[in-house]
Amino acid sequence: MTSLSRPVNLILTTLEGVPGKEIIEHYGLVQGSTIRAKHVGKDIMAGFKNIVGGELKGYTELLQEARKESVERMVKQAQLLGANAVVNVRFATSSVAPGAAELFAYGTAVKVQ
Amino acid sequence: MGPYVPKEMTEEVNITPIHPLMNLAHLFATVAVTGLLIYGGLGIAASQLATRIGPKTEEKIGAAITASLPVKTVESDSRVAYLEDLLSELQRSVETAKLGKAEYPPLKVRILEMDAENAMVSAGSYLMVTEGLLAAVTSENELAFVLAHELGHLHHRDPLRAMGRSLVFVALGSLLGIGQSTSALPSVVNLAELSYSRQQETTADDYAQALIVAHYGHGARSLGFFERNREPDIGALNKLVEWQQTHPMSSDRIERLKNRFQQKNWPTTGAATPLPENIGCANFTSCN
Amino acid sequence: MIELITFLILIGVGYFVGQHFESQHYASIKAREKQTLHIPLMTFGAKQTLPHAHEAQMFVGSVVVANDYFKTFSASLRNLVGGRMVVYESLIDRGRREAVLRMKEEAIAWGASQVINIRFETANIAGQQANQASCVEVMAYGTGIR
Repeated sequence: MTSLSRPVNLILTTLEGVPGKEIIEHYGLVQGSTIRAKHVGKDIMAGFKNIVGGELKGYTELLQEARKESVERMVKQAQLLGANAVVNVRFATSSVAPGAAELFAYGTAVKVQ
Repeated sequence: MGPYVPKEMTEEVNITPIHPLMNLAHLFATVAVTGLLIYGGLGIAASQLATRIGPKTEEKIGAAITASLPVKTVESDSRVAYLEDLLSELQRSVETAKLGKAEYPPLKVRILEMDAENAMVSAGSYLMVTEGLLAAVTSENELAFVLAHELGHLHHRDPLRAMGRSLVFVALGSLLGIGQSTSALPSVVNLAELSYSRQQETTADDYAQALIVAHYGHGARSLGFFERNREPDIGALNKLVEWQQTHPMSSDRIERLKNRFQQKNWPTTGAATPLPENIGCANFTSCN
Repeated sequence: MIELITFLILIGVGYFVGQHFESQHYASIKAREKQTLHIPLMTFGAKQTLPHAHEAQMFVGSVVVANDYFKTFSASLRNLVGGRMVVYESLIDRGRREAVLRMKEEAIAWGASQVINIRFETANIAGQQANQASCVEVMAYGTGIR
């Protein structure tokens, strides 16, 4: 169970609607993004880990936390528009600079009933 | 499907509300504090470790460095014997100057075929002077000051320390990828290293001064060479340039030494010891 | 010494000129967003029947944004410390909004009533050397219907 699966007081779906509910208003595109850099200490640890393989716990947590923030930012945009759900949520991750990654979430803000 | 309701976004959600300069200041402080701690700790450790290199290893390293010099050395030259004599006289005065016992391997003198006036020491006690320097000095006192300055570096094991430090910083830099990330960080480290080497120069100056006074009984004319070759004065930028350059002495450095003569009550008048004739030419035979 | 002075000049120029361009760009983005607010942008539309669609066409908007020297330097320090890269946020935000606007404006020129099923793509197109300032392409694409 990652931090993302925890409920926020707003419905998030990857579907084109909310099952059992009807979309009564659209507000358009909402997006949240955050850019994170890993720090040198973790870099060195990761360098060692790359020799033996396995999960990079530090990085997993870092990316989860960052992705959570990008979702929170998207949700905040939706709330500013007065929405109670974001449908068709998509994630994108990209490398923006050496050692830095952007976590990006976007969707459509709607009001459902 | 409900209707579309156009609404304007009133807040910048995706941008952290912090001033970029504040952010930079915060980052800079964090990096500087941790950097200084690491730099200081590792630097001291490296220079301490380097001075514990065995004499044989040191000789080997020194031989390798000297062999890799891009400049030709003049070896079978009677001037080398003269320099060796002068140096051993100076070394004998170390005791009278109360400078403590030196623990470096026996000196090896080399003359470099180079017109620039310079002298340097490397690990393994290789002391190199350029032909340019020999041609430029006008009295033995001047030459002795330059040589004593280099002896000061050897006495404090500066070549070894510098080597140890640069090895550690190069290793650390490549481990962290600092060398690639931006040109700024290496130059910060360079500045720190330069201030470190400035400190070494000052200590070597003091050593040389005390040694010269012990050897000749006075400090007269010993700074003549530096005064003739002093850095051009460029006003406010002087302090900055002084940081970068170590060998051509800046006016400030010369002034400091002159004041030190007065503070220590060392005589600054006395007869200059002449140099052997044709010291600027190979084997003292007049050059044409 | 000269290196340090060049560095400080580059930082200064990067900061002041970069900030100036950024605020100009933001002003333009905000004005254009206001202008085009009446056209809905949706991330769905692939699996629903669209009642009013007679015609459909794909629209792509893309922009490549580069970092200024000040931001690159801040980011290189941030790379040592770790955490949120504040200076890049505005860069990416600008790029993404610009890409959306370009797509939207093209769709409006075609006569679209809405743009649906929007997707984003971001790519780092910095040069071979790692020390080069980063250059990011942001692309937005979707289907315009009328």
